[in-house]
Amino acid sequence: MGLKAEAIKSPLAAFIAERASARTVRITALERFGGGAVQENWRVDAELDGKAEVFVMRASSGSEGVAESMSRVEEFELLAAAHAARIAVPEPLWLASDAGLIGRQFYIARFVPGVAAAHRLVRDPALGDALVTRLGEELARIHALRPGHSALAFLEMPQPTPARATIQRIRAFLDRHPTPHPALEWVLRWLELHEPPCRELVFAHRDYRTGNYLVERGELRAILDWEFSGWSDPHEDIGWFCARCWRFGSNEREAGGIGSREAFYLGYERAAGRSIERATVPYWEVMAHARWASMAIQQGARHLSGLDRSLELALTARIAPELEFEALHLIRAIEEAPRGASWRS
Amino acid sequence: MRDRPSAADLIEIAREVLQQELLPRLPAEARIQGLMVANALANAEREIAAGTAPLLAELARLASHYGESMEAAGGEQLQATLARLNRRLVADIRAGRLDGDREIARHLFATSVDAVRESNPKYLKSRGIE
Repeated sequence: MGLKAEAIKSPLAAFIAERASARTVRITALERFGGGAVQENWRVDAELDGKAEVFVMRASSGSEGVAESMSRVEEFELLAAAHAARIAVPEPLWLASDAGLIGRQFYIARFVPGVAAAHRLVRDPALGDALVTRLGEELARIHALRPGHSALAFLEMPQPTPARATIQRIRAFLDRHPTPHPALEWVLRWLELHEPPCRELVFAHRDYRTGNYLVERGELRAILDWEFSGWSDPHEDIGWFCARCWRFGSNEREAGGIGSREAFYLGYERAAGRSIERATVPYWEVMAHARWASMAIQQGARHLSGLDRSLELALTARIAPELEFEALHLIRAIEEAPRGASWRS
Repeated sequence: MRDRPSAADLIEIAREVLQQELLPRLPAEARIQGLMVANALANAEREIAAGTAPLLAELARLASHYGESMEAAGGEQLQATLARLNRRLVADIRAGRLDGDREIARHLFATSVDAVRESNPKYLKSRGIE
């Protein structure tokens, strides 16, 4: 069950008063944002000693959620590190690691205005290559964080490699799942056999896609939803962003359904000062479909378990077949492409 | 036998009422949920319409691969047989016993197409498959 506005209002006001050292805090509006099947996001309008401010509260979901995702405590630390590195994120303000306060762990961040809804963004004719170039630059800034960063020491190193760590995690989940998924297993085996060498480990967002960033008047305002982030091959984020499953029907615009792949690559390469290995990206697009398929199956399992009954979760499970199909389709395209030929999805 | 309207007829008319009469009157904040309900009903309709044909086709291919005689079992038994053979298939795939096997690749692709035909037929059209 979700949090109830009336029940959390006064503990939240007391928490903000204490952390902001305000004498009085009055919450004038408390509204849950749509989306966020894994976490709950609330907009909090408050008056601190009479001064109006807008915050976002991000709370853990009621159930266990998706196995890959991290706790709010870790997410808060990570957001602080990203903010310190001048990456566009909502500024994290206060963490409530004590779940006793409202029944969940949560943190408060500064509200950033803008639109995140993917279906609206991919249909906005004002958005295009300029935005994806900007998103490429921002991704390069994220990837500039490297292992050894003291605030990110809690993130585990992928063993033995980022690709194989993901394959193993998905297989471990499938082993606990009651029904077999041969198509997904076939894709995982292909990924195991065709893994490209991982040349560097970077801090990767691992859910960098349209729907997870805020745009206001054509400008990128903030990157959201960091709960899956960790050390990985930089091409994982690039493949995820460009994968067909994250174009929201705007298929001809290969970078997130917004702009051209080359404009996205250009922004990334200019900011990173190194080039994207074109031949490696398709592999990570296959991986993107496999990982999203496994997450969709997990969402369905949350619904079926009875702990978190939801139409949205049930319907998410029904996306899995087209993700498996697309992964098989991509593998075919890769295998049929002449060696050395440029490859397009 | 059961008389009509069947389960499929009922779901179809329920979805039509939802889409044509209820959705236009829903307040904006409830519209997404209304669309999700319509989507769920359409999914269920397609699954019922497809019946056991795609499952039997899957079973035929699996049985042929594993050299088993294909008992055209229905209902629970069909599901159980498919689950058993698919578990075996999964174990073989993971162990690398089917690496590069074209017949299995074709089988998985065909099974996948049948599944998407039920879950999202528009997707197949966008990929040039009717």
